[in-house]
Amino acid sequence: MTRSLVMGVLRRLSLVLAGLTVWELVARSGLFSPIIVPSLARIGRELWFLATSAGSLVEVWQSLFRGLSGFALAAAVGVTLGVVMGRSAVAAAFLSPIFSGTYPIPKIALFPIFIYLFGIGSLAKVVLVFLECLYPIVVTTHAGSRAVNRVLLWSAANMGASRGRIVARVVVPAAAPFIFAGLRIALPIAMIVVIITEMISSADGLGYLVMYSLASFKTDRMLAAVVVISLLGLALDRLVVGLRDRLVFWERLDSYYAE
Amino acid sequence: MATLGLWQAATLGGHPEFVLSPAEIAGHFAAALRSGELLPHVGASLLRSLPGFVLGSAIGVALGLLAGVARSADQMLSPVVFLTYPVPKIVFLPIVMLWIGIGDASKIVIIALACFYPCFINAYYGARSTPTIMVWASLNMGARRLQVFRKIVVPSALPLVFAGLRVSLALSFILLFSTEMINARSGLGFLIRQSESSLRFDLMYVSIVAVAALGYASDQLLLLARRRVLAWQAATTR
Repeated sequence: MTRSLVMGVLRRLSLVLAGLTVWELVARSGLFSPIIVPSLARIGRELWFLATSAGSLVEVWQSLFRGLSGFALAAAVGVTLGVVMGRSAVAAAFLSPIFSGTYPIPKIALFPIFIYLFGIGSLAKVVLVFLECLYPIVVTTHAGSRAVNRVLLWSAANMGASRGRIVARVVVPAAAPFIFAGLRIALPIAMIVVIITEMISSADGLGYLVMYSLASFKTDRMLAAVVVISLLGLALDRLVVGLRDRLVFWERLDSYYAE
Repeated sequence: MATLGLWQAATLGGHPEFVLSPAEIAGHFAAALRSGELLPHVGASLLRSLPGFVLGSAIGVALGLLAGVARSADQMLSPVVFLTYPVPKIVFLPIVMLWIGIGDASKIVIIALACFYPCFINAYYGARSTPTIMVWASLNMGARRLQVFRKIVVPSALPLVFAGLRVSLALSFILLFSTEMINARSGLGFLIRQSESSLRFDLMYVSIVAVAALGYASDQLLLLARRRVLAWQAATTR
């Protein structure tokens, strides 16, 4: 019993452990310069440095602030738009073509225009994050609020609930699993866009730190920044999942994407 | 349409030089097509995004299906994939650049890496959601394991696989243009950056429109392919 449990855990971790071992062996073998493959110990040291120096924490905060503010804006606007589109035929007829028509267009291409419109600071990046995150949230919320069980709507209306009350008490809770699926797609996108825009044009933030460390041949620091970014992405995803499991306890949507 | 009209109307009354009206953009677009300023860059971009997309999604779908049907593959692959899924893949660009150079290969690898995840996850869930009764029934009728896989698991996973492909396609474009904006000497992302820094706003808008058109066209192609392949699904769910 315990033996099979241990074997299961080992098999689950085997690829990660194998990858790390190969990395360390290659780094120690001296075949490649430490600039190309820095050892895990050096990355760990840089990681410690990043975690303890105030300056680098500011960079982390910059990236988080940009990503989360764009994401929060997109969540507020996207859920509202999605519910309105799902419950009103007029709004759907008006907004749906805009969203489905521009959905496959990579919004990142608009970044240069945004720089001219909103300046090179945080605002252009937040706007781009907002725009990229808006689409998955609107699309999934729209699908969710359209799929509300009609009997529930009818009985709520029959019992004298007003339209606003129906939306707040029936539609939004019923669409919640879909909304969270949308949020879960949007959050990694927010991180991607923040990092990309910081790599392209910025003087602060984690994306900038990656490019700056690369340009100064500090690959160990660059990889430490990559680790930090990865951990952030992972932590934010866990946060959304945790929130979903608290709020939408009645339905376990065991999938990453809602159709 | 209304947005376009408003935009045109707003720019009629005079505008800063970095905002162009839709009519002007259309004019510049035709001019850029004729002068041959645009097409080589479109070709360069497609040569990066298509191999990346095909490679990443093929590996993603194959491994996803495998992990969906075989427990040992599931136990080995899934934790790694789900753990690294929320990581923005673009951060690996600098490392990959160091290893295999600054050219096209590093961009293709990054695009393939990003396309891998949605395909793997969707194929995985698609294969896992195969109705057990169908598998039992076919085994009962004497189908071999490979036959079950080909005739039962793959078709029932296909709708989700296509959903994954669509996400991957959109991602491949995002990554294509960001890798090209970060470092490239050709391609549409490069063209956008270069025309921006040389204040050629006409060319910048033209390349942005070209990006949008490419993204839209490839998405429509994929939807068309899905309608062909999944004709039976539309028939049964309608």
